Amino acid sequence: MSEAAIIFEKVRAPMLSGDRHLEMDLRITPGACVVCIGPSRAGKSLMVELAAGLVVPEAGRVFVLGQDWKEVPDDDPRSVRLRVGVVLQQPGLLSNMTLFNNVLLPLRYHRGAMPDRQREQAVMGHMERLGLASLRDRFPAELNQGEVRRGAIARALILDPDVLLLDDPVAGLDADMVLGLKTYLDERRARRPLTILAALRAWSPLVTAADRVVLLRDGQVEADGTRDAVRDRVSPALRRYVE
Amino acid sequence: MVPYNFAVVRGFRCPTCSLEGKRSERMIEWVGRKTIAGYAYLAALATLFAQAVLDLIIPPRQGRGETFRVLIRQILFTGVDALPVTTVIALLLGIIIVTQAGTQLPRLGAGGLVGSIIVVTVIRELGPLVTAFIVVGRSGSAIATELGNMSVTREVVALRLMGIPISRFVIMPRMVGMVLSMVCLTLYFDVVAVFGGYLVADAQLTIPLDAFAESVIRALSTTDVFMTAIKGLGFGSAVAAVCCYHGLAVRSSYTEVPQQTTRAMINSFVLCLLIDVVVTVPLYL
Repeated sequence: MSEAAIIFEKVRAPMLSGDRHLEMDLRITPGACVVCIGPSRAGKSLMVELAAGLVVPEAGRVFVLGQDWKEVPDDDPRSVRLRVGVVLQQPGLLSNMTLFNNVLLPLRYHRGAMPDRQREQAVMGHMERLGLASLRDRFPAELNQGEVRRGAIARALILDPDVLLLDDPVAGLDADMVLGLKTYLDERRARRPLTILAALRAWSPLVTAADRVVLLRDGQVEADGTRDAVRDRVSPALRRYVE
Repeated sequence: MVPYNFAVVRGFRCPTCSLEGKRSERMIEWVGRKTIAGYAYLAALATLFAQAVLDLIIPPRQGRGETFRVLIRQILFTGVDALPVTTVIALLLGIIIVTQAGTQLPRLGAGGLVGSIIVVTVIRELGPLVTAFIVVGRSGSAIATELGNMSVTREVVALRLMGIPISRFVIMPRMVGMVLSMVCLTLYFDVVAVFGGYLVADAQLTIPLDAFAESVIRALSTTDVFMTAIKGLGFGSAVAAVCCYHGLAVRSSYTEVPQQTTRAMINSFVLCLLIDVVVTVPLYL
């Protein structure tokens, strides 16, 4: 199972909207950038939560970096959890900490031996690249949606994970910020392999950066492949998600 | 038109439809369900408490500094920040009790029992209980609200996703901070209440300091002080567990936060009184 970074093995999980289920059998190779796109209530957030180990599937298994989430204890300090960065639709920045301290928190908790100066440099490096340096002392309530989201992305990447799971990463971001985010992720991937699984609900420049696009509707994979292959395969109604 | 159902209203047992039977079955089922829910609730609190104790005894290598920071913040908020209000309440309570005792006891020829009264009422009973109520009102409600809001904004999930265990980073420091603060505040409350009593004894009843102190010390035993500390420990643990539990029980709506906070406060009061009865009755009966 170690050849793929993320594996959805015949996964079936109930969706919030009534009696429908998300059904998925998917393998994502290490270092790949996969964008999962589709209309609202298609099961994209559920897919990210399954990949993050927050939801246990009704049937099937989810492996991340070769480990089945069912076998990963939450409190294991060497857990695969630390190699997976996650940003959910609600990013969950801690409201009683400044943006700087939010991004710093994983380092403070997991890399206690790291010198303060080095930690601060690492945090500021991420924040500068995402255009957040001037907002370092603001609390989450003082930030707009896009700033909160970029802060959460910086926090997810601060431990230098191998896998990044993003749920609607462009929500609240203007066109320049989306391009900035794309550049930031491209730079990170060029420096060190990073497997990205991002859920999007509309076309965005991030789709062009994807090695693979998965089109999801009503819990079912409608198309899966490169952007061009998916565009040729789907109905005109779904084509606008990829072009 | 809906027919009037005599069978249900008057408790008539119908031989064919057995409506009365169904009603009693429903009642038994309700009692059973509530009993099971009560046990499940207590078991959940015990689990939360046991996990916090384990996290305290076996501290993880990671996150010690951060957890310690949360603990210090909790002690400052629950203990240090509560000192002014605790001082005022303890002082007033001591004054009230000694005023009442000082005016009533001499009529019965028991004026020398003022010290005993303050030991029995304040140090044994009211000190720990009133302190617990202050802590529930100030810090317990704050913890339940804070954790409730954290649950709604998915900060709790975000911590888990960062590999930061909730029990170690959120629950344990709050529980330890509250227990330490509660024990110290209880002892502080007792001292201030006795001092308040002395102020009245000196000013109104003309009892000199040495006589008052001798009366208190004669009435006070080591068991009283020990039991006060034990009660502070028990109340602190119970309040912290209840408030953390209800805060984390909030799921997805902000309207749940005040509901769970109210439940946390009421249940904390009830649990403190229950613990008080369990500790006091066997010892002093």
